[in-house]
Amino acid sequence: MEQSWQLDNPILGLIVVGATFVLFYIVGFISNRQSKSAKELYVGGSNVGAITNGLAMASTYMSLATFLGITALILQLQVPFIMLWIQLILAIPLITIIYGTSLRRMGAFSPTHFIRDRYGTTASIIAALFMILVSIMYALGQMIGIAITFETLLGIPYITGLFIFGILIVGYITIGGMAGATNNAAIQMVIIALMFIVPLAAIMKAIGASGWYFPPLLYSDMVPAMMDALPSFFDYQFSPKWYFSIIPALTIGALGLPHLAMRVYTASSLKSARSAMVWFAFILGLVFSATYAMGFVGVFATTTQGVTISDGDADKLTIILNMVYNPEWVTALVIAGAISAGLSTLSGNLLAIGALISQDIISTLKPDISQRLNLRIGFIAIFAGGIASILLAINPPAFLVVSILWAFGLAGVTNAPLIIVGVWWKEANKFGAIAASVVAGAIYIIVSPFVFPSIVLTGHGVTDGMGLSGAMLAVPVSFILLIVVSYITNRIPALSGKLTKQADIELIERIHGWKDIKAYRYNSTIGAGITVAVSAAVAIWALMPWGM
Amino acid sequence: MKAYKKEVQFTIWMTAAFILVGNVGLIFSVFPVDAMLFGFPVMYIVPILMGWFGVFLLTLIAGRIGNRIDDEIERENDTLGHADEAKEV
Repeated sequence: MEQSWQLDNPILGLIVVGATFVLFYIVGFISNRQSKSAKELYVGGSNVGAITNGLAMASTYMSLATFLGITALILQLQVPFIMLWIQLILAIPLITIIYGTSLRRMGAFSPTHFIRDRYGTTASIIAALFMILVSIMYALGQMIGIAITFETLLGIPYITGLFIFGILIVGYITIGGMAGATNNAAIQMVIIALMFIVPLAAIMKAIGASGWYFPPLLYSDMVPAMMDALPSFFDYQFSPKWYFSIIPALTIGALGLPHLAMRVYTASSLKSARSAMVWFAFILGLVFSATYAMGFVGVFATTTQGVTISDGDADKLTIILNMVYNPEWVTALVIAGAISAGLSTLSGNLLAIGALISQDIISTLKPDISQRLNLRIGFIAIFAGGIASILLAINPPAFLVVSILWAFGLAGVTNAPLIIVGVWWKEANKFGAIAASVVAGAIYIIVSPFVFPSIVLTGHGVTDGMGLSGAMLAVPVSFILLIVVSYITNRIPALSGKLTKQADIELIERIHGWKDIKAYRYNSTIGAGITVAVSAAVAIWALMPWGM
Repeated sequence: MKAYKKEVQFTIWMTAAFILVGNVGLIFSVFPVDAMLFGFPVMYIVPILMGWFGVFLLTLIAGRIGNRIDDEIERENDTLGHADEAKEV
């Protein structure tokens, strides 16, 4: 019999969610009274403390997927999905050490801001357009998740929930700007951690796990029963190639996500940005580990405790476990936590869209407009981005987490190589950047199952859908094109008039903290050659049969 | 020259260390281990522990070294002055 999962008392859920919304509005309103310039709107005046920023980084990153999608995919893919998810914690540390501090020193609002200064207008507009696509896909996932939460748990029809709560959320983000979003995101992280881990402890206690007082790691006494009931749970299932493809798709992919990188620029100093990274790793590790525990407990409950969850309800695993084992008011708090998670990611996405449109496109094309007008365009862009994701969510794609992960790959293909190589190699130029972004971006889109379902690399639905196979081909192609095309065009005398070599050199020295210019710095042909060789090997490997 | 070399080497090695620590699952997929640790299969719990505490430890190290290299770059900026800039450019 199909069981329908819904709160018996939706009013309770609405009161809890309403109370959290009021809190976010108040914090946003108070924080935003100082938001008078674009800098304050997008990077909180570059004046955010380490703990607040570390928490905000974690909460921006922990989307609604933590509550809805991940546990569902653990239920379906089991251990391989946990292995895939673990490395996502590398995002902020790698952004910080590879290019975050350099771009913070430069005073960039967004990664595309750097691309404009480094590669010129055309490359930056191409990158910005790809980034808007990435951000909208990401925001779309959150919108769908929020509407589904309201629909299935509170009984509010999908479209009604989508419009009412979508517009409320977009309103709060537009009013709050980055300062509001940062303060709110920090509060949201605390709410997410509490609403996830404390109810999980109660669930584990009800199931009889002796380590319920520290859910993220102490559930080993359930392992023997799990191994009896479902011996395959701990199997790796896939080949090393599958595990390797996670690196180009998600590790490098996360380096290109604009809303994450923007968090590094909000830091009050470089030292503070580095401390924020430490806080980020600690808190995210805690919540990620709890997520794996929740997935484990979900599989445990369905295989040994007689809890049945239909395929269509897999996304609601976390909330269903709470409904089964915890009182209703706890479930209401978990729903508020899920909404908070969606909200903080959504605000990061929409602010990125605002910065991309107003700073990276409009200001690039029309540099003379006033700061006031620019700020107003930013607010309009944030609002319009939100409305666009609401409208797209009217007809949602089948599986939201898969498409969010696919967006990671797109960022990894079209943006990350431009930033990484641009920061570390003076020879990278606009011809290389444009070739890399356009050609590799096109390859990634073509081999995805969404456009031409017959042109895919593995034929394994989730692997192609999450962009693992596509990114393993397109990310190295992007690096190769950027380096080889730049190297060749730098040596064609007819093109030298179109390049800004001296300005590029000065920019690179400056963002690394140097006051003088030295020819030997950031100029290694050997380093570029090794990158091309390794990339070529990875791309060829990606084209070989996957055996899936 | 010294601070520059340190900066490049730090970034390369630190990036490699982060990728390694965050992708222990990849290593186990190549070299499977059939053993238990803290009541869990090693291939399950070690990637999770490394993905939390390993990464956390590395962020502490990376933060510290990063700050030190910044200071060294500052010092080189001050001591070298701009006297030899003209020679090398």
